[in-house]
Amino acid sequence: MSGRRDGVSTDAAQNGPAGTVPAAAIVARPLGALIALPLRLLDAPMRALQRTIGERRMPYVFLAPNAAFFGVFVFLPIAINLWFSVTGGPALFLSERPYVGAGQYGYLFECGSFLDPNSCREDHFWRGVANTAKFTLFQVVAMVAFSLITAVVLNMKIRARGFFRAVYFFPVLLSPVVVALIWKWILQRDGLLNAAITSLGGQKILFFVDPGWAMFWAVLVSVWAHMGFYTLILLAGLQAIPADLYEAAEMDATPRWRVFRRITLPMLWPNMVVVIVLALIKGVQTFDEVFVLTGGGPGTATLMVVQYIYETAFSNQVQNFGLAAAASCVLGVVLFGLTLAQLAASRRRAT
Amino acid sequence: MADLKLVGITKSYGGLAVIHGIDLAVRDGEFVVFVGPSGCGKSTLLRIIAGLEEVTGGDILIDGVSVTRLPASDRGLAMVFQSYALYPHMSVRKNMGFALENMRLPVAEIASRVERAASMLQLTPYLERKPKALSGGQRQRVAIGRAIVRDPKIFLFDEPLSNLDAELRVATRKELAALHAEIGSTMIYVTHDQVEAMTLADRIVVLRAGRIEQTGTPLDLYNRPANLFVAGFIGSPRMNTLPATVVTAGPDGGMMLAGREIAAAVPDTLKPGDAVTLGIRPEHLATVIPGDAGRSQASDLTVTVDLAEQLGSETYLYAQTADGNPVTIRQAGQITITRGNRIDLLIQRDALHVFNSAGLRVAQSATETLG
Repeated sequence: MSGRRDGVSTDAAQNGPAGTVPAAAIVARPLGALIALPLRLLDAPMRALQRTIGERRMPYVFLAPNAAFFGVFVFLPIAINLWFSVTGGPALFLSERPYVGAGQYGYLFECGSFLDPNSCREDHFWRGVANTAKFTLFQVVAMVAFSLITAVVLNMKIRARGFFRAVYFFPVLLSPVVVALIWKWILQRDGLLNAAITSLGGQKILFFVDPGWAMFWAVLVSVWAHMGFYTLILLAGLQAIPADLYEAAEMDATPRWRVFRRITLPMLWPNMVVVIVLALIKGVQTFDEVFVLTGGGPGTATLMVVQYIYETAFSNQVQNFGLAAAASCVLGVVLFGLTLAQLAASRRRAT
Repeated sequence: MADLKLVGITKSYGGLAVIHGIDLAVRDGEFVVFVGPSGCGKSTLLRIIAGLEEVTGGDILIDGVSVTRLPASDRGLAMVFQSYALYPHMSVRKNMGFALENMRLPVAEIASRVERAASMLQLTPYLERKPKALSGGQRQRVAIGRAIVRDPKIFLFDEPLSNLDAELRVATRKELAALHAEIGSTMIYVTHDQVEAMTLADRIVVLRAGRIEQTGTPLDLYNRPANLFVAGFIGSPRMNTLPATVVTAGPDGGMMLAGREIAAAVPDTLKPGDAVTLGIRPEHLATVIPGDAGRSQASDLTVTVDLAEQLGSETYLYAQTADGNPVTIRQAGQITITRGNRIDLLIQRDALHVFNSAGLRVAQSATETLG
C-alpha cells in the first residue's frame, strides 16, 4: 500500500517541473543539436580510422592533439633554448648561429671565487644568484612564519573568521605587477609611508635608495602577496587535525605551548614541507613583482636571476641570446631539483 | 580515587537547553554507567564532568571540592574517547607517557608506570609501535592505558566500545569489568547500549532528553522500572506494553486486557475505569500448549504469531494481539510454531508491571517488597 502511495507522490513530483521544462527545452534542444552536429560529422571518419588502425591504437589518436600542443609550446621551446645555449653570436635564427659547445656555460662559470660575484667574468649573473639566494632564504623563512601564525589564528574561534580568511587570501588574486605598483605608491620617496613618518615628526626614508631597505621591502611585498596561498595550505592541514586530539591533550594537562610543539607541529609537518618547497620554487623564480617594485636596484642590490636572464636576452644593447639561454638552463636544473624534492615530499605525505 | 557530586547541572547552547538540572552522587570506587538514546545528553554530561564543556548552571564537586570553574587539565580526571584520540605520530610508549611528561615526572618513574600499565593491558610487545600499526582492540587498550598511568581520581569513558566489532566488544567489556575490580577506581561510563550498562555498572543512570529518568542497580532497573521509558530501554528484547483498563482494584482485582478480563492484583491507588499500561517482559509470558493440562485454565491473552526466531537454546515469538498490539514472547528451548498460528498465553502475575496514564509506575506494594 505504501508502494502505491509512493508511486502517486513521484507522479506528482514529475508533474511539477514538467510545466517548466519546455521553456528550457526550447533553448537547450537546438543548442545541443548544434553542438552535437560537428561531433556527428566526426563520427564516421573516426569509426573508419578505428577500423583501419585497430582499437588498441585509438588512445594515441585522442592523445595526439594535446601532445602536439605541449610539443609546440613546451618541449620545442626547451629544445630551442638548449640549442641557443650552445651557440653564440647576435643572430636570432638558429641556422645563422655558430656552434660554441659549452662556451656560454664556461663564460657564465668563469669565476675567481664563486662566493664573490666581483671576481666573476659575468658578475651580474652571480650577483643575481646571490640576491636570489638571499631573497629566497628570507622569503621562505618569513613566509612560513607568517602563514603559520596566520593559519593558527584563522583556525581559532574568532569573530568574523570567514571575513578574515577571505581578506588574507585576496592579495593572491592580484596580478604581481599590480601588487608592486600598490606598494611602490606606499614606499616611494613621497609615498604613503613617508607621509606617515613625516607627520609623526620623523625623517623621510629613501627605501629604494638603501640596498638593505630595498631587499627588505622586496621580501615583505612578496610575502604579503603570496602568503594567503600558503596560509590556505596550512589552514587545511590544521583543520585535518582531529579535535579530540586537542581534548585528549587537555585531559592530559598539556601546557599550550607543548600542545603546539608536540601535537600541532608534528601533525602539520607534511603540509609545512609542501609550503617550504613551494615557497622555495616560487622564490627562485621571482621576477615580476620585484622588477616592477625596485627595477633590480639600487644598482644591482635586488637584481634576481630571472631579471638577469630577461635583460641579457632582450633589454640590453647587445642582445645575448646564447648567454641568457645558458643561464636559463642553469636555473632550470635548479628548479627541476626543487620540483623533485616537492614530489618526494608530497609522495611521503600520501603514504 | 574520589567521589563525585553533581548539583543542579544545567547546560544550554544558545537558547537550547540540553541538560535540565541533573543531581547525582557517585561514591568512591563506584562504576556508574550513563545510558540513554542518542541525543539524551549523556556524552555532554560526561564532557561537563571532564571539563571539556562548561556548565550553564550548577556545581560539580570532586571529593567535596567544587571544580566547576577549573579547566579540564586541573581536575585530575582521565578520559577514554570514543575515537581513542591517540596521538598518531607518537609510539604507544610516548602516548601513554605524554601526560606524565606534562607532570614533569622523572624519566625512570614514567618508564616504570608505562611498563606496569602495559603489562596489565598486555601491550608490552607493542610499546614501540605507532597507533596505526595496532588493531582496534589494541588501540582501545592504549587509550585505557593512557588513562591508567596517570592514576586519575575518576576514569571517564565515552562510548569506548562502539568502534569495536561485536566479539571484541564482549571481550573488552569483560576486561573493563576486571580492570575495575583490580584497580577499584571510580569510573563513569557512557553508552547507548543497555547490555553494556547492565553488565558493567554498579549503578545505572538512565537519561532521556537531558533529564535523569531513573537511577539504580541494573536489577533494580530491570525489575522495577520507574516509567515506561526505562521499562522499554532496559532489557532485550524489549518489555511488552499493552493497554488495559482497571475493572476492580485491590489484591484480588481485575483488568480488561485485549477484550478479556484477567484477574490480577491492582494497586489500590487505581480506580475502576482507569486506563493503564501493562508491562510484561517477554520471558514472563508462557504459552499454553493445546491439549496440555493447563488447557482447563483460562488463558490471559490470545495472539497470532508473525515470526518465530529459533536461537536453539530459546525461541523468540513475535506476535500480535487481536487489536494489533505487538507482543514478544521468549520461551526456553525449541518450539515450532509457524506464522499465522494463534496461541494462548499466560502472564506471570508477580512480574506484571502496571503504569498509569502518565507512563509512571504504580507501586504494587505486595510485589515491590518481594523484589
